[in-house]
Amino acid sequence: MPVGIGRLAVSRDPAEVLVAYGLGSCVGITIFDPEGRLSGMAHVLLPASDGRAPGPREPARFADSAVDALLKHFIEAGSVKRRLIVKIAGGGSVLGSANAQKFKIGERNAEAIRERLRHHGISLVNSELGGVKGRTLEMYVASGKTFVRTATSPATEL
Amino acid sequence: MTLTADRLIESLSEVAREGATRAGRAITGLMGQRILIHVPNVRLGTKVDACDAVGGEEAIVLGAYLTISGDITGHVMLLFPIERALECVDLMCGQPPRTTRDIDEITESAIGELTNIVGSAFVNALADRAGLTLHPSPPTICHDMAIALVESIYAEVLSQDGDVVMIDTVFEDQKGRTAGLLIVAPDPPTLHRIAELVP
Repeated sequence: MPVGIGRLAVSRDPAEVLVAYGLGSCVGITIFDPEGRLSGMAHVLLPASDGRAPGPREPARFADSAVDALLKHFIEAGSVKRRLIVKIAGGGSVLGSANAQKFKIGERNAEAIRERLRHHGISLVNSELGGVKGRTLEMYVASGKTFVRTATSPATEL
Repeated sequence: MTLTADRLIESLSEVAREGATRAGRAITGLMGQRILIHVPNVRLGTKVDACDAVGGEEAIVLGAYLTISGDITGHVMLLFPIERALECVDLMCGQPPRTTRDIDEITESAIGELTNIVGSAFVNALADRAGLTLHPSPPTICHDMAIALVESIYAEVLSQDGDVVMIDTVFEDQKGRTAGLLIVAPDPPTLHRIAELVP
């Protein structure tokens, strides 16, 4: 099930795979509740909402509101925050390292997500960030396992 | 004056045609092969439209990216599905089709140079027509999933969800033709300067 830019999805369906394709400067967040067997993914585009409301179709557009919105699903489902397994991937500079100095959206997205997770008292279990290649993030709802692959390398577990 | 999408497209189509003519002359001169460039379709599109035009969000594409600075700031990207990129290199070099089979340094360099010529020709045509001062940057090669490249432009440029200008660009010589997609994304604060294009 694709999770497009600014979107988020949660699922308990063991047949389902949540996928965020081609994360360039975008960052994908996955959350797994091993007790409630709930999996969730958000696809973040920008670091800060600055008070702007994300549109109804893109609740995960901004890092801060994305973390809040994704977590809300888990809290409402009865998840215990400290048992959540949270991972993030992406935040690269696919327009070249020369442009990375000028544009730091990838870095800023990652930092904004880390900051919001800290605000909620949640630790990040693992991350794969930066670089110059786009990443596709896949989450298998049955196991909660996440994998990252690029255009030129096969999937590795995150 | 209200800049409607139709008038913007009409004006940008004329700019694109002028840019294509200039770029065709430049490439012909550079490569010693008679190459024509057509721009049959100029339209506004979303990031998904831009990816669909090159084979889908996860399609691996080869192209290059450059920035515009000056009176208008923004981004230009020329993207090809891999097969089309290889065809384009053969066309530029006057080689039989399917001579170029891999993406190596020479392929990347050729596509980078092509983007330099096509992108700069478009930017200069825009500058001349609107009486603006514009500077295209040197190109950066891009070889990645289409959505990763397109969304990075969106993230850097657009604070609101918006459209980019998509220009189908056809490259043709006596033996055949191939096509890529030229994406033009002006920074929103400078977009109003493009209104000066409209008579």
